[in-house]
Amino acid sequence: MKKEQPNSFVIAEAGKCIGCKACELACFAVHNRDNGVAAAVGTVTTPVIPRLYVIRTDSFTMPVQCRHCENAPCAGVCPVQAIVQEEGAITIDEDRCIGCKACAIACPFGAISLYKAYSNGQEHKQPYLRERLDGRLERKTRVIAYKCDLCHDITNSGNIASGEIAAAAAVNNSGTPSEGGGEPMPACVSVCPEQALKLVSQSLGASRSRKAAGLRL
Amino acid sequence: MTNKVLTICPYCGSGCHMNLLVEDGKVVGAEPADGRTNEGNLCLKGHYGWDFLNDPQILTARLRKPMIRKEGVLREVSWEEAIQFTAEKLTAIKEKYGPDAIMGTGSARGPGNEANYVMQKFMRAVIGTNNIDHCARVCHGPSVAGLTYSLGDGAMSNSIPEIEDTDLLFIFGYNAAVTHPIVARRIVKAKQKGATIIVSDPRKTELARIADTWLPLKGGTNMALVNAFGNVLIEEELYDKDYAANYVEGFAEYKESVRKYTPEYAESITGVKADDIRKVMRQYAKANKAMILYGMGVCQFAQAVDVVRGLASLALLTGNFGRPGVGIGPVRGQNNVQGSCDMGALPNVYPGYQSVTDPKIRKKFEKAWGVMLPDKIGYHLTEIPHLVLKEDKVKAYYIFGEDPVQSDPNAAEVRETLEKMEFVIVQDIFMNKTALHADVILPATSWGEHDGVYSSADRGFQRIRKAVDPPGDVKPDWQIISELATAMGYPMSYRNTEEIWDEMRALSPKFAGASYKKMEEQGGVQWPCPTEDHPGTPYLYEGNRFSTANGKGRLFACEWRAPLEQPDQEYPLTLSTVREVGHYSVRTMTGNCRALSQLSDEPGNIQISPGDASSLGIEDGQLVRIISRRGRIVARAQISDRVKTGATYMTYHFWIGACNELTGDALDPISKTPEYKYCAIRLERIPDQLRAEQKVRQQYESLRKQMHVGAGQA
Ligand code: SF4
Ligand code: SF4
Ligand code: SF4
Repeated sequence: MKKEQPNSFVIAEAGKCIGCKACELACFAVHNRDNGVAAAVGTVTTPVIPRLYVIRTDSFTMPVQCRHCENAPCAGVCPVQAIVQEEGAITIDEDRCIGCKACAIACPFGAISLYKAYSNGQEHKQPYLRERLDGRLERKTRVIAYKCDLCHDITNSGNIASGEIAAAAAVNNSGTPSEGGGEPMPACVSVCPEQALKLVSQSLGASRSRKAAGLRL
Repeated sequence: MTNKVLTICPYCGSGCHMNLLVEDGKVVGAEPADGRTNEGNLCLKGHYGWDFLNDPQILTARLRKPMIRKEGVLREVSWEEAIQFTAEKLTAIKEKYGPDAIMGTGSARGPGNEANYVMQKFMRAVIGTNNIDHCARVCHGPSVAGLTYSLGDGAMSNSIPEIEDTDLLFIFGYNAAVTHPIVARRIVKAKQKGATIIVSDPRKTELARIADTWLPLKGGTNMALVNAFGNVLIEEELYDKDYAANYVEGFAEYKESVRKYTPEYAESITGVKADDIRKVMRQYAKANKAMILYGMGVCQFAQAVDVVRGLASLALLTGNFGRPGVGIGPVRGQNNVQGSCDMGALPNVYPGYQSVTDPKIRKKFEKAWGVMLPDKIGYHLTEIPHLVLKEDKVKAYYIFGEDPVQSDPNAAEVRETLEKMEFVIVQDIFMNKTALHADVILPATSWGEHDGVYSSADRGFQRIRKAVDPPGDVKPDWQIISELATAMGYPMSYRNTEEIWDEMRALSPKFAGASYKKMEEQGGVQWPCPTEDHPGTPYLYEGNRFSTANGKGRLFACEWRAPLEQPDQEYPLTLSTVREVGHYSVRTMTGNCRALSQLSDEPGNIQISPGDASSLGIEDGQLVRIISRRGRIVARAQISDRVKTGATYMTYHFWIGACNELTGDALDPISKTPEYKYCAIRLERIPDQLRAEQKVRQQYESLRKQMHVGAGQA
């Protein structure tokens, strides 16, 4: 993705989505390798935290996620500048995030949610803040903002190519970013059995994304 | 080093091809493969549903050693002891009460066709009874009975890939988005290619949402609606007269039976607008290629076989058979429920749907198996509680790969039945609720640990393959049954599943040409496949020759009957059992997959309308008490504006919110399938939510302890 191009984003077609949540699981799996989630969720000890949310109302069903807005309002309200534009995606620096919830309120799409932070399969405790639990003071688990990062680490860092071939095969096909057709695809897009999700980039044509946006609203 | 093992997904009748990725003898992932039905796609169960093979012990623990109940406690024993003990007990019961006092099941799940063949052979040749049945009885039993009557074959007349190339899809009581996401994919594609979609369902399912016309009928009124469809076809002369004259019989009676069911009359029963009934039938009759798909919303009523025959009649009247992209599809739920029917794990037929009451056929099997065989049709699975509790006729139950306490209606009665039996054998891969009542537990290998063949919902035989070695001291199902047969004085020995398969093929004309080699070469073989040089049959009834005795399709209609238990003042709401996309059946497998169980876990949900929720003061996500005449449970309220006032829905996978504690045991008179889709309940708000949550957690923990979680993990 060249810098001067607008950001890509993933969008769903409500007419195709059947609400199965395969995308939620794939998104979770691809982001939690260092939490012991193997290529396809073999060893989950953390709760399933997706970065897109399948919503269901009377008249439609589809996942919503971050649009990677060019003038991202979430970044504007973040008091610690944890949200930045990075190689074609708006991303949250999870180490910097203080869990203030401002971004979640600012996002017009409801694409940001706050959950506990995990590292190495364990809740990530804070060094100072303590909470009272059953009369005892214990270190409070960090809570941070999560949102779609377009599978940024994997699609941009060349992680897949540099890994051993067998592992890459496992990754590719377990609903994680695949390299089919040259460009790596986000996990949710490649796993959806209904082909309801698309990665929309400017090269696909503005009219298409406008139509998609229309459908969305 | 990662090995890829090509196999078939164990979770639904879509029959998706997939590769298991194996590292150091452990499964580490799954990827879609290019199968006939799935074309490189999997749903979330296919992608993430292999995890139970690693025995994470979330809901229940893997069985690793044979066990015998001694002084009331299940104790691990050697295989020799377990087989010997079981053989002696079965022999004693057979001698004392006769062979018909013993009931056996097939398994529509992991074991595969060969194990089912061996099981029905064991019951028939070794025990000497036709008392063999399996969970098709509680799902598509009515399809087998109804379609055999109308068309000759109790299976999908069409193929899954054909769905996307039809002009009109008529979907009746079938929630494909949840039960078969990969079939739903074809429906979505059909819509994109311009097909008209009509959905008849009381709930606004995902398919109802994308349909051109949604017919929101009242639960339990199927027959009235189907009769009205027939009425419109005939009154408006929309039916295919040539076709009806040449290939169909029973027209005059049919016409008479549906006369009364005018759209207006049907509207008064079903709540579906008369104009809509007319509109969809005009569309259906006009379409060049029209296809009916149906599911449990048809079959799980006490009037189910009639509705199946009624739906088949609509396709017959409009000439929608014998070509690609038309016909009628009962889309089978479990991965191998088609297969266990194919293999004759049914009380009335041998493998290949050959009648046990036909002397010529019986002779053939007697000769092949070297014993005299019983000529009387056996008991149906769902009659067992009555036969045990009321008539005292069945003394021993060999339960193979099923969990009736969780899956069958009126769980309290099922438990009482098992307790009353003299001898209960459970052969399974996981500890389950039924195993709590077992006298012997025989631990088997799982999908992924053995070879075999599954039948997809559209009659496709496909090979499953062993990917990893099983844990503990477990054996393939067919081997356990063979050892038991041998210990009972009927030597059975097979070197591998192919040998079993070839024995079965030689006895079953419909399957005769479906060799392992052909499955290997073609990826699968759809039956009928009568000879070695026959490629298999994607759609049935070519040339409009049906498999009935005289080759004609048979029309059928009859009076609508209301469901048995109607809501009243004490139990004002109706309950229907449904499924959830990320879980499978009794949940021993998916409940032990970390990702899937996280997505939705105990105590399960009850879907209620916003109106009912607010009048009862219930909020979304709260725990509620649900009570019927048969039991009471707790589950989480899920308020949904897609549910009508007065109706509620529960998925049957959950162990704490086990809806089968509530369901009734009214049966279809022909297929003996229970009325899961309709019973009366009452909902109660629980004021102290904190305590209720605590109790659910405690209940979960004690359940897990009962299921041996944590004990003796390797
Ligand atoms: S995987 Fe596809 S069909 Fe399933 S919920 Fe996500 S977008 Fe919808
Ligand atoms: S693009 Fe990647 S991060 Fe974004 S929702 Fe999809 S899987 Fe999750
Ligand atoms: S559960 Fe059914 S649809 Fe899903 S992958 Fe398995 S066979 Fe395919």
